[in-house]
Amino acid sequence: MDLAKYRTIFLEESTEHVAEISRALLDLEKDPADAEAIDLVFRMAHSIKGMAASLGYDAITVVAHRLEDRMQLVREGGGVAPGGELSLLFRGLSAIEEMVEAVRETGEPGAADAALVAELASGREAEPAPGRADPGQAEKKSPEPGDAAPASGPAAPVLEAPRPPPTVRVNTSTLDRFLSTVGEVILNTNQVRTVSQAETSQNTGLSEGLDRMERVVGELQRRALELRTTPLLRILEPLPRAARDVAQHAGVRVEVALRGAELELDRSILDRLSDPLVHLLRNAVDHGIEPPEARAAQGKPEVGRVVVEARREKDSIRISISDDGSGIDLEAVRRRAVERGVVHPDLAADLTPAQVAALVFEPGISTAEAISEISGRGVGMDAVRSTLESLGGSVEIATEQGRGTTTTLVVPITAAVQRVLLLGVGAETVAIPISRVERIEECLTASIEYSGADAFVLLDEELVPVLDLGARISQPSAEPGPLTHLVLTEVRGERVALSAERVAGQQQIYVKPLPDLLRGARALSGLTILGDGRPIFLLDPNQVA
Amino acid sequence: MARVLVADDASFMRQMIREIVEAEGHEVVGEASDGDEAVEEWKRLHPDVVTMDIVMPRRSGIDAVKGIMEIDATACIVMCSALGQETLVQEALQAGARDFIVKPFKPDSVIATLAKVLEKAE
Repeated sequence: MDLAKYRTIFLEESTEHVAEISRALLDLEKDPADAEAIDLVFRMAHSIKGMAASLGYDAITVVAHRLEDRMQLVREGGGVAPGGELSLLFRGLSAIEEMVEAVRETGEPGAADAALVAELASGREAEPAPGRADPGQAEKKSPEPGDAAPASGPAAPVLEAPRPPPTVRVNTSTLDRFLSTVGEVILNTNQVRTVSQAETSQNTGLSEGLDRMERVVGELQRRALELRTTPLLRILEPLPRAARDVAQHAGVRVEVALRGAELELDRSILDRLSDPLVHLLRNAVDHGIEPPEARAAQGKPEVGRVVVEARREKDSIRISISDDGSGIDLEAVRRRAVERGVVHPDLAADLTPAQVAALVFEPGISTAEAISEISGRGVGMDAVRSTLESLGGSVEIATEQGRGTTTTLVVPITAAVQRVLLLGVGAETVAIPISRVERIEECLTASIEYSGADAFVLLDEELVPVLDLGARISQPSAEPGPLTHLVLTEVRGERVALSAERVAGQQQIYVKPLPDLLRGARALSGLTILGDGRPIFLLDPNQVA
Repeated sequence: MARVLVADDASFMRQMIREIVEAEGHEVVGEASDGDEAVEEWKRLHPDVVTMDIVMPRRSGIDAVKGIMEIDATACIVMCSALGQETLVQEALQAGARDFIVKPFKPDSVIATLAKVLEKAE
């Protein structure tokens, strides 16, 4: 038996099953008697058990087996018992998930948590809620196993989900090789076009053929890029459970609604959004949602609500995380920004609420304000912002005291094909994503003012720092002419003007990843080859400044 | 050699059974991933033998056995069971299944069981 092959199938299937169990358990949290969800958890645990047993993963087998048995009890009892039952099921699921991950990483599941196995195996206790244990009524309360059990025989699983179309699993590296080949085809087509245009004798057959080929190649490119996209569901799906864990720690109650999870994003972007989303969600639950009593006192529902919503807007997707919690204490942020030297005290007083809110993305503002066990770990808000910026996107925040906070991640839909502005510096041409360009300004070279090594220009009655692109990429520029092109962009919230000798136009390019040798060059975010065969680097404006 | 229909909701298990029975020279003529599909595929293919998982979505393996038995009471079905499904196996056998194999599958016992039920079916 080809173990490696079965292990791969096992990992794929059990990962999907774990996600389905998670979804079903969340359904059971809302409706503990949801028969469909109970049945699904039972079946998925059963299926994981069978696969694990076949591969000799005894630790997974035993936990999945206990979980399955437990679900049988739940089914017979007519639903998930109040108290710790659901949490126990979640712990069983987490244990399986961890062991499956361990198989993925090390090839072995490790040992099963004996205490958990015992707990899953222990009978369902009759647990009267504290304070309600009225001895006079106790006999009616404790559900006896078998008491209300349905007639023997398995409850026939009834699921009426529409059957999805058949799918094919493709290894991601295979897909990437395929896409990079498609990229090469696009580049070669551009090259052939350039050569054919240089031909003096106009050959109509050739140019018509090229037209057709370009259309087909364009279609191929669109289809190929679609292959790279994955529904947001993949990264949104774990959020309700993460919220639940945080809420338990923080002593608050929360429900999470997901909207627009069917929207699709480039897989490489999707993967990098996962950490920021989890961080923002934890923030929303841990710092946003108030304890039930406090909420009740304000006339809010005791259960807080976090809505994670994805929407498409032109060439970007906006993912917002809104909570109905306490909102950010803007005065505290203002004080902290002054203490930290992020803003000058005189200036701080003049900042609008929106400007103050945006300060949470500055390093050192959000992270230390409350280092609770959960939110203090991992990435801070500044890391959220830099991740988004490195993806060519941005992050916005709106907050209202007592009403809640909405943080919005804006991400470009695909990074593989971008519209870029080509800038000439000396003998070199570089590209920057057009999405990062506010506008291009032509100014008199003489109007650039110098203060020591720093250069500034007055634009829109604002002093904007000028960065010499040539100097930044160590490309000697020619003696400056009377006119300089300034490309206005924003770097970490600040307007910055990049000065370039030439603006060589816009172009749609296919961005190839950098060769390994250049991976260390942080200012370069990719590479493309123009129609005439010249390689052009794509600059990341965040790293240039 | 026998024509086999494999019914299991886990493609992992289907593949495993396929490998085992094909190594023995049998032909897997169809696969089903739930009970409804198992009955439909049985109608279409009339296989010599069905390996039928018990726990499947939409329609359980036991109900599928009943469904197939209604069409042809001589149909040859082997249940795939797991640890702790003794009562369900009993029920399936009562419904008309011929025998059962236990997960995790051991190739030898799968082959032996199939050989046994096919011999009887002749």
